Amino acid sequence: MVRETNRHFKFDWITIILFLLLVGFGWLNILSASHIGPTVNYFDFSQPFGKQLIFIFLTFGLIILLLAIDAKFYERFSSIFYIVSIISLIGLFIFGKNVNGATSWYGIGSFTIQPSEFAKVATSLAVAKYISDLNTNMNSFKDQIRTFIIVLLPALLVLLQNDTGSTIVYAAFFFVLYREGLPQYYLTISISAILISVLSLKFGAVLTSIFAAIFVIVFHFFNKKKLRIYQSLFIIIAAFVISFGVKFFYESILKPHQQERISLWLRLEKDPEKLEKMKQTFAYNLNESEKAISSGGLSGKGFMEGTRTTGKFVPEQHTDYIFSTVGEEWGFLGSAFVVIVFVLLLLRILHLAELQKSQFSRVYGYSVASIIFIHFLVNIGMVMGLIPTIGIPLPLFSYGGSGLWAFTILVFIFIKLDSNRINEW
Amino acid sequence: MAVNEKGILNRLYFIAGCMFVFGLAVIFKLLSIQYLQGDKYRSMATERIVKDVIIPANRGNVYSVNGNLLATSIPKYDIRIDALAPSNKNFEAYLKPLCNELSKFSGKPSNELEKQIRQARANKNRYFLLARNIGYSDYIRIRNFPLLNLGAFKGGLIVEQTTKREHPMGGIAQRTIGYERWDEQGNVTRPGIDGAFGVKYLRGVDGKRKKQQIGKGQWKPLSDANEVEPKDGYDVYTTIDVNIQDIAHHALLEQLEKYKADHGCVVVMETKTGEIRAISNLGRNKNGHYYERLNYAVGESFEPGSTFKVMALMAALEDKVIDTSTIVDTQNGRKRFYGRYINDSHRGGYGKISAARVLEVSSNIGIATIIDEHYSKQPEKFLNRIKEWKLNMPLGISIIGEGNPDIPEPGNKNWSKNALPSMAYGYNLELTPLQTLAFYNAIANNGELVKPRFLRAVKEFDEEIETFDKQVLVKNICSNETLNKIKEILKNIVVRGTGERLYSETFSMAGKTGTVRTEYWMNDWEDNPRYVSSFSGYFPVDNPKYSCIVVIHKPSTEVGYYGADVSGPVFKKVAQKIFIDTPIVDEIETLNISKTSVDNEYESFYKTAQTYKTIMPNLVGIPAMDALALLENMQVDVKVKINGRGIIKAQSVNKNTKLKNNQTVVLTAS
Repeated sequence: MVRETNRHFKFDWITIILFLLLVGFGWLNILSASHIGPTVNYFDFSQPFGKQLIFIFLTFGLIILLLAIDAKFYERFSSIFYIVSIISLIGLFIFGKNVNGATSWYGIGSFTIQPSEFAKVATSLAVAKYISDLNTNMNSFKDQIRTFIIVLLPALLVLLQNDTGSTIVYAAFFFVLYREGLPQYYLTISISAILISVLSLKFGAVLTSIFAAIFVIVFHFFNKKKLRIYQSLFIIIAAFVISFGVKFFYESILKPHQQERISLWLRLEKDPEKLEKMKQTFAYNLNESEKAISSGGLSGKGFMEGTRTTGKFVPEQHTDYIFSTVGEEWGFLGSAFVVIVFVLLLLRILHLAELQKSQFSRVYGYSVASIIFIHFLVNIGMVMGLIPTIGIPLPLFSYGGSGLWAFTILVFIFIKLDSNRINEW
Repeated sequence: MAVNEKGILNRLYFIAGCMFVFGLAVIFKLLSIQYLQGDKYRSMATERIVKDVIIPANRGNVYSVNGNLLATSIPKYDIRIDALAPSNKNFEAYLKPLCNELSKFSGKPSNELEKQIRQARANKNRYFLLARNIGYSDYIRIRNFPLLNLGAFKGGLIVEQTTKREHPMGGIAQRTIGYERWDEQGNVTRPGIDGAFGVKYLRGVDGKRKKQQIGKGQWKPLSDANEVEPKDGYDVYTTIDVNIQDIAHHALLEQLEKYKADHGCVVVMETKTGEIRAISNLGRNKNGHYYERLNYAVGESFEPGSTFKVMALMAALEDKVIDTSTIVDTQNGRKRFYGRYINDSHRGGYGKISAARVLEVSSNIGIATIIDEHYSKQPEKFLNRIKEWKLNMPLGISIIGEGNPDIPEPGNKNWSKNALPSMAYGYNLELTPLQTLAFYNAIANNGELVKPRFLRAVKEFDEEIETFDKQVLVKNICSNETLNKIKEILKNIVVRGTGERLYSETFSMAGKTGTVRTEYWMNDWEDNPRYVSSFSGYFPVDNPKYSCIVVIHKPSTEVGYYGADVSGPVFKKVAQKIFIDTPIVDEIETLNISKTSVDNEYESFYKTAQTYKTIMPNLVGIPAMDALALLENMQVDVKVKINGRGIIKAQSVNKNTKLKNNQTVVLTAS
């Protein structure tokens, strides 16, 4: 009876509205960033905004399909999805199409499909399935390793295809595993390692090593919960290895363009002439994007009025740099609105995930939120110069059919699972 | 699981906190760069400023009815030199040759030019003018002069192109062809056709191109294509006929000069269509020369005088209050109306004459008497006629600045008992020359009043965008009976009336003279009387082709001022020249006369000439002239001696004998 009366309200409309807000506002900005000339034909399907309109239109069909399928289907077939997506990623090595240096697309006529986008969904389902298995214990080293393999296999394949951006996304699962009981020291180690790496790059390996050693020694003697001497020594050695390893990795293994990006981010280059040159070359995008955003001011220049947007100053503005359009044309109010909608969406999904009775749904919900968060973090961080440049789209906002559909699938499977919550026990 | 409830909650808060804090961090960063430090970033952003550069559309051309260009836009160049740009070596080496060439070009002495340019270099003048407003071919010539041919950076050549509106016909019809001109405040003046149709057809739509600043004063286009492509203006095909315009212009000019008049105008209109074939407006400047100054024909309302008597008489005829044979007493040339005297120009008056004769001799008293007698009790009836003929309102022509007619009505402040008789002979009301002409044209056009037109078609390349047909204002201004009567009178005016001095046996014309006092309200009029002389009519009398009005303001009274003397000759000259200059096309069929004997003779000659090249033909029996031709055109050189000049009787060499070079042949003819 309850199900009958609540039929129309069983989907979480707040999530759906936030989702639609992002897609709609995103399209307006794609329109602004990609249209040419003063007159706009909204249905010019040769232009990105026209194509995106088709993608959005088709998305509604996809949503209906996703919500129509029985919730149990996703859980039952999650392993199949995972295997299929792994195969499709491997297939790229043979049939893939190279775009901007990454072999991440299948070309079918004029359309391209990026399987790595869909692999995120499959991996989320697979992780959820594996963790929710009654026999899985996140404290057991064996299960930890197995989970890592599930996550890292697609990540590795994507990395080999030269798509660094998509690889970083798999870091999202760390949040999921952490929530599901991954031991605390993983977090401690990760944060320490990242900190040491950054400090090593910024201040040099020797200084960082000495600093780390002093810190560990102080910690060793003043902490109540004493570590054994060999443990502390091991930590110091690890810190040494990381500091010097990162330096070596940075100087010898990273490709020049990656080096330059990190150098720019950490402001390692001091020579103003070289800095100016950097701004003209690889830092051009970031530089122009920052200028576009800052030129927006408090309330922006108005829709389709941004001179830097219409002047096509920012390359790839309709894809990865779409946020700079928001910044220029809608100003602080518009950009803050986007950030707030994203944060609300993330918190809403986390909130719903915590309400789930089934562990599968909960883990999946965390995956959804984490993946969107990593995208959001890396993209906005990149556009505003907070982190090094990594090509990754702004979810639901940037131009691209594969991305839009992958996120639609990601979100609406969760909405479907959530709507089924009442039937769980 | 090892993680307890509290631990789970902490981990949840950790994750949610990460997301929340990052969002907050982004918002703070945004606030910082967009708002707090906005000015700093925005000033940085202006380095790469973008502007819309206007690409002017090409203005359309104005053509005459025969396809001649009346107005077109052509590029003009100003040439300057950056006197500092050339190196010392180049400057010294090429300055003299450059000045020699410039001297040839401009006529200024070479050493003077050299001095000026050296001075400019000494004064660090980087913008020294060499030539202004020159055409394309001159520009190409100057560009190749020594020093300048080194280009902008080595030679200091500065070229500035502007587009100028040119009138290939010169001063002719300048005011009617017109222009669109902007002053410094952005106010626009737009006389004539160019002005009237600028916005609608000629201007076109300017294009736009986004350009980005790449250095001081250096702009580069942002994209391959223009953001907005300029759309060139349409071409306007006017009704002006260059030949007729030329005739009208010079006829008017000659007369204005002869009479030292202040200004005048001529308009020639095609009767059937209302198309203006010529419109000339000349006014005198301070030096006594005449120029197209204002469009008097269109814009100047004035008291028409006697030409209006035609309208007055027509109203009376149409209302059947009189007939042409009605006798009117014009007395002795001076008659009192409501306390004011009206005079006739003929001393002693015309006595008792018919209404038709009143118009022929242009009697003020006569026409005033007719109108006063029949309409003083019902002036509305007379005024209604005028309204019916649309004489109380502007014609609504396309050129800007048409003058308003002024027809008084009972109740107006300029209405009195005298108003009606005054109006009868063309005072106390105002019309523009074009309005008067349109009315006369209606008489010529069997009663159909058509609107004067200046435009035939608007074209883009050869494609017609819009065409204009005749516009009928009044289908029938009066009955055929009235029309025929008035036509007869207009014809007789030239034959035996005030226009009899214009009469010519060779071609026919009809029309009405007009001589009206102007500025008579001024105190000095008595000492310095001023008149407006006009003549309005049409030609030829039967089946009129054109109507024409000539108005000349303030001719010198020492030379003459009567309409027939001052304006009439212009009218006559225009009419006469149009007919002389219009080629008469008479087609004559090619006559094909053939005679068998002649044909046969030719045949045999041709045959002989083809057959005998080295062998002596039989020449006996053919004319000596033909025989000579045959022999001299042979392939061998023979010397021919002919005795006599008729038909060949004998030949010294027998026929069918082979001829040799330099052989002598003696022919004997009768």
